[in-house]
Amino acid sequence: MNKVFKFLGRDRDLSILGFVTTAVIVVLYLMLGSRLFSIGGLQSMSIQVSEFGFLALAMGLAMLVAGIDLSVVAAAGLSGVMAALTMSGEFIPITPENETQIIILGVVVALTTGLLTGLLNGFIIAKLSVPPILATLGTMILYTGIGTAITSGSSISLKVPSFAKLATSTVGPLPMVFVMLLATFIIVSLILTRTRFGRKVYLFGENEVAVRFSGIKSERVILMTYAIIGILVGLAAIVIIARANSMRVGFGESYLLQAILVVVLAGFNPLGGKGRVLNLGIALVLLQVISTSMTAFAFSPYAKNIVWGGILIAVMGMNHYLRAGAPRARRQEPPSETVAIALEQSRR
Amino acid sequence: MMRNVTTRVLNRKMTPMEKFLLAIMAIYIVIVASQSPKFFSLETAFDLARNGSGAMILALGCLIVLISGGLDVSFTAIAIVGGYSSVLLSRALGVDNLLFIVAGAVIIGALLGSINAVIIHFFQLSTLIATLGTASVFHGAMVILLGSKTFTRADVPQSMLDFGAFSIFTIKEENSQYGLTIFFPIVIAVGVLTWFLLYRTMIGRSVFAVGSDPESASRIGINILRTRLFVYMYVGALSGLMGIIYFSGLAYINPAALVGTELGVIAAVVIGGAKLTGGEGTILGTVLGVVLWQLFQNTLVHLGLSSSFNDLFFGAVLVFMLGFIYLRQRQANKRALVFTSN
Amino acid sequence: MTESPILSARGLAKSFGGVQALHGIDFEVGVGEIRCLAGENGSGKSTFVKIISGVNTADHGTITIAGEEMTSMNPREASAAGIQVIYQDLSLFGHLSVAENIAINRMMHDGSRFVNRTTMREIAQQQLTRVGVDLPLDAPVSSLSVANKQIVAICRALSMDARILFMDEPTTALTGREVQRLLSIIIDLKDRGLSTVFISHKLDEVFEVADSITIFRDGAKVGDFAASDLDELSLSRHMTGRDVTYNRYVREQTDDAPILEVAGLSRKGNYENVDFSIRPGDIVGLTGLLGSGRTELALSLFGLNKPDSGTIAMRGKQVDVSAPWVAMKHGIALLPEDRLSQGLFPAQSVAVNASATMLDRIVNKIGMLSRPLEKALADTIVRELQVNNRDTSTPVIHLSGGNQQKVAIGKWIKRNPSIFILDSPTVGIDIGSKSEIYEQIHRLAESGMGVLFISDEPEEIVANCNRVVVMHAGAVDARFTEDDVAAAGFKEQLIHAISAPRHGGDVVIADATAIDAESQSKGLNNDA
Repeated sequence: MNKVFKFLGRDRDLSILGFVTTAVIVVLYLMLGSRLFSIGGLQSMSIQVSEFGFLALAMGLAMLVAGIDLSVVAAAGLSGVMAALTMSGEFIPITPENETQIIILGVVVALTTGLLTGLLNGFIIAKLSVPPILATLGTMILYTGIGTAITSGSSISLKVPSFAKLATSTVGPLPMVFVMLLATFIIVSLILTRTRFGRKVYLFGENEVAVRFSGIKSERVILMTYAIIGILVGLAAIVIIARANSMRVGFGESYLLQAILVVVLAGFNPLGGKGRVLNLGIALVLLQVISTSMTAFAFSPYAKNIVWGGILIAVMGMNHYLRAGAPRARRQEPPSETVAIALEQSRR
Repeated sequence: MMRNVTTRVLNRKMTPMEKFLLAIMAIYIVIVASQSPKFFSLETAFDLARNGSGAMILALGCLIVLISGGLDVSFTAIAIVGGYSSVLLSRALGVDNLLFIVAGAVIIGALLGSINAVIIHFFQLSTLIATLGTASVFHGAMVILLGSKTFTRADVPQSMLDFGAFSIFTIKEENSQYGLTIFFPIVIAVGVLTWFLLYRTMIGRSVFAVGSDPESASRIGINILRTRLFVYMYVGALSGLMGIIYFSGLAYINPAALVGTELGVIAAVVIGGAKLTGGEGTILGTVLGVVLWQLFQNTLVHLGLSSSFNDLFFGAVLVFMLGFIYLRQRQANKRALVFTSN
Repeated sequence: MTESPILSARGLAKSFGGVQALHGIDFEVGVGEIRCLAGENGSGKSTFVKIISGVNTADHGTITIAGEEMTSMNPREASAAGIQVIYQDLSLFGHLSVAENIAINRMMHDGSRFVNRTTMREIAQQQLTRVGVDLPLDAPVSSLSVANKQIVAICRALSMDARILFMDEPTTALTGREVQRLLSIIIDLKDRGLSTVFISHKLDEVFEVADSITIFRDGAKVGDFAASDLDELSLSRHMTGRDVTYNRYVREQTDDAPILEVAGLSRKGNYENVDFSIRPGDIVGLTGLLGSGRTELALSLFGLNKPDSGTIAMRGKQVDVSAPWVAMKHGIALLPEDRLSQGLFPAQSVAVNASATMLDRIVNKIGMLSRPLEKALADTIVRELQVNNRDTSTPVIHLSGGNQQKVAIGKWIKRNPSIFILDSPTVGIDIGSKSEIYEQIHRLAESGMGVLFISDEPEEIVANCNRVVVMHAGAVDARFTEDDVAAAGFKEQLIHAISAPRHGGDVVIADATAIDAESQSKGLNNDA
């Protein structure tokens, strides 16, 4: 128990987040009780969070390297459309015999498309030095454009019945897609905290210039990060088409705001270098519980938007005040004279 | 004096971006005109003026924000909130007067803009994230407070219908007639006003100064909060105006419209050469960026392409232009041994 | 000075959160006086200037300007009273024109609402004429050289009817010739009654023109001195409060086969035809005025500034240093000039910083990062470099400048580079850490490493280097062999070689801040 406290004390964001999440869940449980927290309710929540969780994780990675990815939803849309086309029977006739192969092909198409969208973003950002926000604004329109041009904006239906099982099947009590999400979070978390590449991601986010002066291939860090983002986007697309059994461009546009919101809520710094996957997971739970409760209270989508927007501003504002004392590397100024004096004296 | 100014404006060297945009535009026009002779006509130009005027007004507002070093994504929400609430107000009061409706929208827009400015200033927030938040709040609050009822032609105030249909002159042909919309001179007026504010007033110069270097700006006594208030209130006011123009043009009032198109407007301003880092951006570049965007939005049909291809073309040009702009800067930085992150 | 002083401060004291930054400072500047305010970083110079310019308010004490006592002065009132401060960053707006940068303050102050271009240009031209410099009024300031930017900043201050001009480290970014121009402008203005206070932390050219020198130490005034009474040693004694003498380095290695050989290395606009070599145990001093091309050369050796021609050879084998990781592979390490923005990850811990160049050393058998290995590595480095703070989980931003620099050096030494380039390793570092860093460098060289030591402080070169290369305008201007360095009077020779280059040709160095001449020439400030 002592260890837990020590652990929480080390990460202020985690403690605040954990506390708020617990409090919100308790309050909502008292208000909604079994309507929210039945097995069925929990399962449907975990399915919903899966779809969005991949996109949030992708956004989080972008922020770790001092970027932002406005194209995640558009890229997921494009990947989904490509996969849906593969599994629509329009190009490859579907027979009971080749259904499995078609599904595998569809999954591969989704992942490959996602990877390519990520690589293009990474290329534009790393090799052409376009600021991430503009680069992904451009590719967001481009990916939407490609998707719309291919589908003429219409919805593509899947003709492989067994694929939808991905969304409904369970591993024990847990929905399959949720297990996928959980596994992905664990893997990404391990990559970030336990590998050299992960360390470079944090270093890059903290100080891109010092990364180059440390002999690290900084452009490769960016390329690889956005490639991983692309794969996550592909995974999101797979979950979306499995659940909806169809895909159209423009699906899930509201996810963009929510993805930024949840990442900021989890304590990621938009300027890079700070943020933990564990916190992101907790923030996702919090967001999903609030979202589902709002549905239970019959909130309109607009009312939800107010809540999301309000939370976003409140969290950012709070972070500003909490961080006000903390040193920020980016200012590139030597610590002011008084700080220097204070530090000197404290050391003596 | 006036002539002096005119010659100065005309003699100004174009930025590389502006030249580049003009070249792309010229190539596009030549290709489309060769495919479809009907394209190269006054009718097309008038159509473009009508369809693009709203976007142009928003883009000019967006330009000011970019020059000030910010990025606003709430202006479409403000346009809808300003326009919709003003229309509801006029219906409630039974005042069917265009000036009243416009004034209402402009004032509401400016007020919402001031909220943005205050939040950005006091919380020191990333302008993108702050306005992303306020956009949801503004739009959501409006729908909850005022409802989301749409109004068809029959319920739109008559003054707006007249406004939307008014042409400053019309050309009659055998079986058709078309005119230049009243929106066009309004856009020109907004452009001139924006130019004047940016280049001929101290507050406009403060916007450039704050965008260039906020720290230095405050050192020489520029009031940053006042400058930000000006920037976001001006954008808000323009957005309110745009909301009325938009509803009038369509003769249909839908409070769910427009929101979601803001990134396209920003993209158009950015390919016009405005930089995210602040202090840079030109009105001519913005105009060219918007015209190019609107060309893709409205004239692909002359190439036999459906509107499904709009985003593809615009996105491709956007990515290409961004790559071009920043690759040049990257090479220059490399030469000058400037080791900065973007 | 018989005239009453233009500025007189009595007993100024200021504390920040319990830390006394200034103790009862008395300070006077006469009309038309040039004063130098010297002190180490943290001595209270900038706090003092902030109080005089109204940014901060003193806890105690009075400020009298031209006989008028100022109570609770804000920046605007200070400016109205004739106090102008030119900070080291100059506070200019790169995207605005020369004319506008000069006039904007004046126009703002006059309460103009509209921009009258004619007035604006008149204000600007008037001030430029006053300092006798001709600059293109419509050019964006970002296209100017640092020296010309400084002129713009001076003109802006003059346009505000400045009576006392504070200039923070004005010469650090200037070449010798530019310094001379600046000083002649200031002397000219002095004759017309302007008082100037130069703020400095080392002995430099401005001391020669100063009427007197005030030295601060630990927030208190040490005293006022005549320039002629001070030499480098006494100045440093006054600034630090102790006599510092450094051990001189003597090379004892016998292996004379060079590790690094640079031959005919050129890069257009940076440096030309540079030759030198470094043997094991050498500490080669590379010096010259700012803009001499020394940092540009260092960056080339580390793969960050591709040379146009010439060769770099490591242990006799020609290498193509195309990127930092290639340099690293060949055993070349670089301690960059700007420690916080280039060398360190300020918010990260000492351990993370120390291992940034050696991630492959802190992974376990299955390729995962290992905290124990990371900590062990950091502990060794911290111990070896005598970093005061032994807790390697402290963020480096919380360390003092000296300890930060030790970490920045430490992140390289365990890689055992054969060539270590140190660019200005002791800028802004306290005396104590300085000598520890010197000793560390000596130890590295004694163990057979070759060191390239870049510095513009002759004293430092003398103490640390066994051979010296002096650059000027991108070319090698003078060389000192081991015998030269060991000979008596070397320091005077060196100072002479730096300040009076033999090849006084035109300065070919490109202006590093003019980012993109083509894109800047578009006249950003023009209409629409």
